[in-house]
Amino acid sequence: MLLSVWPLRHKLSQCNWCLGLVYREKNVHFTHFVNEMNAGCVKRSAIKCKFFLVITVRKSCNWAKPEESAEVKTVVVQHVNIQGLGRTKEDLLGYEISDVFHAKNLIDVMKKAHVARQRLLRLGIFKDVEVLIDTSEGADALPNGLDVTFEVTEVKRLTGSYNTMVGNNEGSMVLGLKLPNMFGRAEKLTFQFSYGTKETSYGLSFFKPQPGHFERNLTLNMYKVTGQFPWSSLKETDRGMSAELNFPLGMTNHTLKWEGVWRELGCLARSASFAVREESGHSLKSALSHTVSIDSRNSAIFPSRGALLRINQELAGYTGGDASFLKEDFELQLNRRLFWDSVLSASLWGGMLYPIGGQPTCIADRFYLGGPTSVRGFGMYSIGPQSEGDYLGGEAYWAGGLHLYTPLPFRPGKGGFGDLFRTHFFLNAGNLCNLNYGEGPRAHLQKLAECIRWSYGAGIVLRLGNIARLELNYCVPMGVQSGDR
Amino acid sequence: MSLAADAFVSQLAAAEPWPENATLYQPLKEDQILLSDCASSLAVQAYLRMCGLPVEVVCRVNAEYMSPSGKIPFIHVGNQVVSELGPIVQFTKAKGHSLSDGLDDVQRAEMKAYMELVNNMLLTAELYVQWCDDATAAEISRPRYSSPYSWPLSNILAYQKQWEVRRKMNAIGWGGKTLEQVYEDVSQCCQALSQRLGTQPYFFNKQPTELDALVFGHLFTILTTRLTSSELAERIKSYSNLLSFCRRIEQSYFEDKKGVIVPLIKRSRRGHSSTNQEV
Repeated sequence: MLLSVWPLRHKLSQCNWCLGLVYREKNVHFTHFVNEMNAGCVKRSAIKCKFFLVITVRKSCNWAKPEESAEVKTVVVQHVNIQGLGRTKEDLLGYEISDVFHAKNLIDVMKKAHVARQRLLRLGIFKDVEVLIDTSEGADALPNGLDVTFEVTEVKRLTGSYNTMVGNNEGSMVLGLKLPNMFGRAEKLTFQFSYGTKETSYGLSFFKPQPGHFERNLTLNMYKVTGQFPWSSLKETDRGMSAELNFPLGMTNHTLKWEGVWRELGCLARSASFAVREESGHSLKSALSHTVSIDSRNSAIFPSRGALLRINQELAGYTGGDASFLKEDFELQLNRRLFWDSVLSASLWGGMLYPIGGQPTCIADRFYLGGPTSVRGFGMYSIGPQSEGDYLGGEAYWAGGLHLYTPLPFRPGKGGFGDLFRTHFFLNAGNLCNLNYGEGPRAHLQKLAECIRWSYGAGIVLRLGNIARLELNYCVPMGVQSGDR
Repeated sequence: MSLAADAFVSQLAAAEPWPENATLYQPLKEDQILLSDCASSLAVQAYLRMCGLPVEVVCRVNAEYMSPSGKIPFIHVGNQVVSELGPIVQFTKAKGHSLSDGLDDVQRAEMKAYMELVNNMLLTAELYVQWCDDATAAEISRPRYSSPYSWPLSNILAYQKQWEVRRKMNAIGWGGKTLEQVYEDVSQCCQALSQRLGTQPYFFNKQPTELDALVFGHLFTILTTRLTSSELAERIKSYSNLLSFCRRIEQSYFEDKKGVIVPLIKRSRRGHSSTNQEV
């Protein structure tokens, strides 16, 4: 058609890929454009438009010289400006936008500008980023020079939120305060306070990314949380602090964490069993942990392909504190798309807790199994060793699941609401027990392999946004041992 | 406990006889237990021995937190958990063992009054000396209380306990008292007890009651625990009939089967008394 200049009222933010969207764009203004990208002409139009891009369409035109399509004409990006900075320090942003200088032609400039915009947005310090590409001006302007300007709007210095929550026979008021970009280099300070009829909890968190490498970051936390566990008739109050370092290494993501917690355990009711009563009291846990995870799934809630492997280790006792143990656990999930839009998902979890120094393990450190997230058909965390109806948890466990997700039969509401639902056939199995560490690995495997609890069934799953899922299942539990619920 | 809960517990308690594996829990004898807890625990042990009920003493670091009321000692009988002397006396009564059945109403009221006196005076004085006297608190109470825990939890728990006791002392009006006044109060209490005891072997007739167990527990522990100052023990020693009363109960009830008197208290390090007892 034409070699045209399309001034667009839309921001670059709305195009996933500039060329594609613009092609669909209906409102098009044609300005006279002669067969060269003349600085003067373009500049005039640039003042009026928010965004501006030049494209060529495949069909030949009689205005433009075909050899001067935008893909091949070399340009030089002379200046990249960022406007609208307040408290953000410039050295932080230099890393994100530096790539734009290496663009060789106009399409490349647009691509790299888009990528830089995404990188600026992921820092979490800007509400909005707009891109403006213009020819360069001034004394040192080259004829094919371009200036790229990012117009940013910083987020407010302080944001707050206030919620009330009702649930579990308790009402509470939650107050949140956030200070994004506190010192100008994308640090974030968050404070949350929850005041309830039964319990009060609060947390303070400080997040600092490394300038230039946002994926490497440090988080410091201080918190007090309380929890009630009716399946064990236990209530736990944790006051602690932690320091966490995240960094990617090749394809994997590593987290190193030190955590110091003062744990206070108590009986939830006077009728708690004596085994749980014996665990009441105070203890101090100081633990170092390391997690490595490789996640190639395309979604966290309803992945249709990819795999997840996460291995976590925790060593407590060597940095102080009363609790002394080594804890290992892993999670593996594989997803594969099958015929007719259905997805087969297999997952396996396992873990082991090894007490060091001869003291018995604490109920707060042990593993629990059962419930709608692990072995369906059994009560929440109600599998394994128990005493008078209170579940004490175990030192070793494994659990596995095989799921088949299919779209709803007859696909009602296809393309819209119906896509959020899936039918779900599953087979879950698992075991939780205490190992006798004096025996060898063969005895351990044998102990884990006997008394397997398993269940199968079908149901409907609903995806809620990208954060949660709601399930309604019909399960048939099998292999129930005495004491399980 | 409320009346309804009382009645319910009595019902349950009456259903079963006293089992063989009853246990009494208290903090660690060597390093952790403090004067007031040791006194309460000894009182309960004396009472159970007087009733002829066997009980095994088990020491646990978290005994105070295991207890349903937060106080030492508590007993685990069957699948029931009862703490403190008062409820334990009621519990054993529901099982059919009682020491005060032979008393008439006037004597029973008198016994209750004297037990209240001991609890309000002696026990409170023990708590005051342990936690409100800075020297004792710093040298003995805080280190012992926090010995099973690691730093910084040990400091946090010790100071938390100290503040709690001081708050309680202020609430009952003892906050403004000096150590001398407390010693005076203890003397007066001992005088009242001494007068009531007179030359009798026990407080009421010739049979011991829970009052005897309570008085024995407190006096014996004070006499045999070394604190920063021995003033408290000296005040009690000035009443000879109380001394012979303590010795008599020690010989009668804390003797092992061979007839040898088991040394109840070992005076080794400051501020601690350890008990060797056989069931």
